[in-house]
Amino acid sequence: MGGVEDEAPALKRMKLSSKGLVGLSNGSSGEPVGGSSSDLMARPLSSEGDGEVIGSKGVIKREEFVRIITKALYSLGYKKSGVRLEEESGIPLHSSVVNLFMQQILDGHWDESIVTLNKIGLADENVVQAASFLILEQKFFELLDGEKVMDALKTLRTEITPLCSDSSRIRELSSRMLSPCGQVGSSKRDIVLVRSRSKLLEELQKLLPPTVLIPEKRLEHLVEQALVLQREACLFHNSLDKEMSLYSDHHCGKTQIPSRTSQILEAHDDEVWYVQFSHNGKYLASASNDRSAIIWEVDMNGELSIKHKLSGHQKSVSSVSWSPNDQELLTCGVEEAVRRWDVSTGTCLQVYEKNGPGLISCAWFPSGKYILSGLSDKSICMWDLDGKEVESWKGQRTLKISDLEITGDGEHMLSICKDNAILYFNKETGDERYIDEDQTITSFSLSKDSRLLLVNLLNQEIHLWNIEGDPKLVGKYRSHKRTRFVIRSCLGGLKQSFIASGSEDSQVYIWHRSSGDLVEALPGHSGAVNCVSWNPANPHMLASASDDRTIRIWGLKRLNVKYPNVRTNGVHYCNGGELR
Amino acid sequence: MGRLFVTHLEGQIYTCKHCRTHLALYEDIVSKAFHSRHGRAYLFSKVVNVTTGENEDRQMATGMHTVADIFCVGCGSIVGWKYETAHEKSQKYKEGKSVIERYKVSGPDGNNNNNYWVGNEAHVGGSDADDA
Repeated sequence: MGGVEDEAPALKRMKLSSKGLVGLSNGSSGEPVGGSSSDLMARPLSSEGDGEVIGSKGVIKREEFVRIITKALYSLGYKKSGVRLEEESGIPLHSSVVNLFMQQILDGHWDESIVTLNKIGLADENVVQAASFLILEQKFFELLDGEKVMDALKTLRTEITPLCSDSSRIRELSSRMLSPCGQVGSSKRDIVLVRSRSKLLEELQKLLPPTVLIPEKRLEHLVEQALVLQREACLFHNSLDKEMSLYSDHHCGKTQIPSRTSQILEAHDDEVWYVQFSHNGKYLASASNDRSAIIWEVDMNGELSIKHKLSGHQKSVSSVSWSPNDQELLTCGVEEAVRRWDVSTGTCLQVYEKNGPGLISCAWFPSGKYILSGLSDKSICMWDLDGKEVESWKGQRTLKISDLEITGDGEHMLSICKDNAILYFNKETGDERYIDEDQTITSFSLSKDSRLLLVNLLNQEIHLWNIEGDPKLVGKYRSHKRTRFVIRSCLGGLKQSFIASGSEDSQVYIWHRSSGDLVEALPGHSGAVNCVSWNPANPHMLASASDDRTIRIWGLKRLNVKYPNVRTNGVHYCNGGELR
Repeated sequence: MGRLFVTHLEGQIYTCKHCRTHLALYEDIVSKAFHSRHGRAYLFSKVVNVTTGENEDRQMATGMHTVADIFCVGCGSIVGWKYETAHEKSQKYKEGKSVIERYKVSGPDGNNNNNYWVGNEAHVGGSDADDA
């Protein structure tokens, strides 16, 4: 409605019928109710070029668009602007019938409001009935509050009961008559009534179709939806949502992906097979073929240094597992024993082993009071912290080289039970489900929320399963190389939007989780990358463990970052983005 | 190099002569009537713990085939070949199957069977560096 149209003579205007104009508001947001000038406003003739749809795609109806903006203005408290928009556009927020209905609700004219409700022309009789019930319920409460008990009883018997099929609700209302609320001062009571009537309008809004009453915050919802869709479509989104703007379409660059080596950790004497950040992101644990594990501490600047070197295993250390509170760490020797360590002191608190079979995997029970381990005889064992065997599950529960996970609620265990299947086992009920793959499974990991399962396969594919309810394959990722070794992958980044994996070609691979697109292949290591771990507390920090005996810490590419190019405490600092 | 991923077989098994990595089961033999330059070879419906080389066309006694050499994951030694494509109709049954050269493996026939009947206690070293 440009200035030219505003100048148009009155003859060119036509009166707007209230028919077909369905109102949209809930009365609680301060827009004018009843007798609004908008009912009499004229709408420009279609010959004036005022099309019914706007936007380049032709999918936005002008009338709906204007109404939603008007609604947003009232909701934001810009009452004058809302009124002005209604007048200038000739598109009222709601029809005179809806206006009248809302005013009757706020004034407490219950019987008239039900008559008006029926005039709105709602197609669904159930909605009319449910709305009528809400109105009559309000009438009932206000009569009780005004100590008009007989009138309240009459309303309950003759008006509410015929409408309501829920007998328990009728009984509930009847019981209110026996224990009515205490007296309220009249002025205070008026405030309470007005407030409760506004609340009633909100309830009615949820019930009535959006064409009659536009839902609260509809514009905000649409804009949020657009931003979320843009975020999800953005391959590189790995920053906080507060950085998103409405002024332009959202695109993150690759700068949000940790793709620069910020540190090289060189304290192991042999291949590094496993890395895992603690839940709080303050520590990193690594396990090596040199029979040791190392706890690294992450300082405030995101730099890592050795906290403890853990020695004692007689064989290569294949994996580690952080306790739920990050105060203790389990390490597992290859078909040997599991050791429990105190993170603060680096002392070994307990050794878990069995005569005969060796231990091949380890995991914490979510309570932190028990530990689980897979054994080479294909059973799974549960110990208390003092090393007493609490429970054992015999039979084909695990394989020789196998991972073991337990869900966050402590109910289910996951283990590779045969070459191409993962056993999803309820330890309380004994129920067993299988997640079947076509290929041999080499490793797997569970997401923090226990909803997603990442499975590495022999055929150089990684599969993502949603295991809520019936397991469902939701993603496939390929490009990395795996021919001989156990290569591990992980979920990570903001909202676990990315998947990272090691690879036998010495690179770290990163995919966008929902699209499956390869985002980065990071060179730098000089041997196979066996394992990766994304810092749960820092979406811009990734660790990778390699056969080249090093762990690389990957961060964001930044210009003019100056680190001392020295080696201290097993750490090699990398200057800028030069060292990949 | 790396923590080897090896599948552990149970039953009468053929293992790599050099590093004892499990390669195939006696029950998966399709035919013993194969030959290589080095002597007898067996056709298996399924083999494990091998990596596959590049595809190449080879003229064999039974016609043209597209094959790829297969290598033991434990020590990297060549143990046979895999048939990717058989160009003649009568040879199509070979596709997807693998031939292992008998002299490259230890296994049930011609030896004391008990030596090659392996159960749960079968074990392969964690790193190929140990087994090379």
